[in-house]
Amino acid sequence: MRQHDETGNTPLADETLERAVGELRRPLRVNAALFDARVMDEVLRAPSGVREHVERLLRPRTIRVSPLLALAAGMLFAVSVAGSILYVLPGRAPRGEGTSAERSVVARDAAGSPIVQFGFVAPHASSVALVGDFNNWDPKATPLHAASTGGVWSVEVPILPGRHLYAFVVDGTVWRPDPAAPQATGEDFGEPNSALTVADPGMR
Amino acid sequence: MELSDAALVDIVLKGESEAYARLVARYRDRYARFALHMLGNREDAEEALQDAFVRGYRSLHRCGDPARFGSWLLAILANRCRTAGGRRARREKRFVSAEDRHYAIALDHPADASAWREEIGRALSRLDADQREAFLLKHVEDMEYEQMSVVTGVGVSALKMRVKRACERMRRMLTEGEDAPAR
Repeated sequence: MRQHDETGNTPLADETLERAVGELRRPLRVNAALFDARVMDEVLRAPSGVREHVERLLRPRTIRVSPLLALAAGMLFAVSVAGSILYVLPGRAPRGEGTSAERSVVARDAAGSPIVQFGFVAPHASSVALVGDFNNWDPKATPLHAASTGGVWSVEVPILPGRHLYAFVVDGTVWRPDPAAPQATGEDFGEPNSALTVADPGMR
Repeated sequence: MELSDAALVDIVLKGESEAYARLVARYRDRYARFALHMLGNREDAEEALQDAFVRGYRSLHRCGDPARFGSWLLAILANRCRTAGGRRARREKRFVSAEDRHYAIALDHPADASAWREEIGRALSRLDADQREAFLLKHVEDMEYEQMSVVTGVGVSALKMRVKRACERMRRMLTEGEDAPAR
């Protein structure tokens, strides 16, 4: 009788039991495709603590605008748009890289211009930048900042009322539309853009 | 690239729910075997295993040590197996035909099942559920008692006693044809 089995566990000290255990250790045949599809169907449909966890990370926060930022925003736009509101774009459940938080006004500058928070989930990216007609599509102009956890990148940007086209640039090269926003027609440079509309309530 | 459990858990928690499929694939077969041996039939085993994976996903953010996701998931599965008796009783009342369902866990054709395998299955089913669980974790899943304690929430000395008694009863049933119910 063996003193130790191959795993180093205590032997059973009984030949019959060892034969039974050998039988019980036989691999089981599982229809992987069928089983995995059933599990993942429930996983992707069901409300989950995981999604709540991600959504908490993505939830817009109220920020305090420093006088310097307010001044910069005022100089940048030089137009008073007090009372502007942002149409909140349709969101959808987070699904990893490319997932975007809803665009929300998180503050207003001194002139009342809305400051919009952009969020993008890219757990494996080394950089994410926001490009759009509001920054001349310059990938260096508006880098997003990574949260300490969650792979969530975000930035707050003053946005004038009107329709804007924008996109995210991941790792300096990969052009990604905002998954939570409508894709714009009439794409620039052959790359897909997203559309964002900021409306002044006085114009409605 | 083969990602660790901890890395996959991290990716799922960052919102890539689809990555959970890789954890399912990693533990599916082994834990299906455990569930089948615990519950004795593929319908209950499949239901318990599927339930465990889904519950695992829903509470993944509470997995304290993602590197030990496997043990954490097995604890959920063991718990589901313990409570499966009530579900089985309710299902039997509904009298759902086994032929109406497509099973993912396949058994060999009944004609292929040896008398020896049936005898082992009968012996296992006659063990007290706590003893069966301890026996399977120790001798089929090759776990150390400390790991078993984490999975079951039961102290090491109590687990050793359960394994000892399970081995004694299994040996008697398999060699002497003891047929008395457990306890």
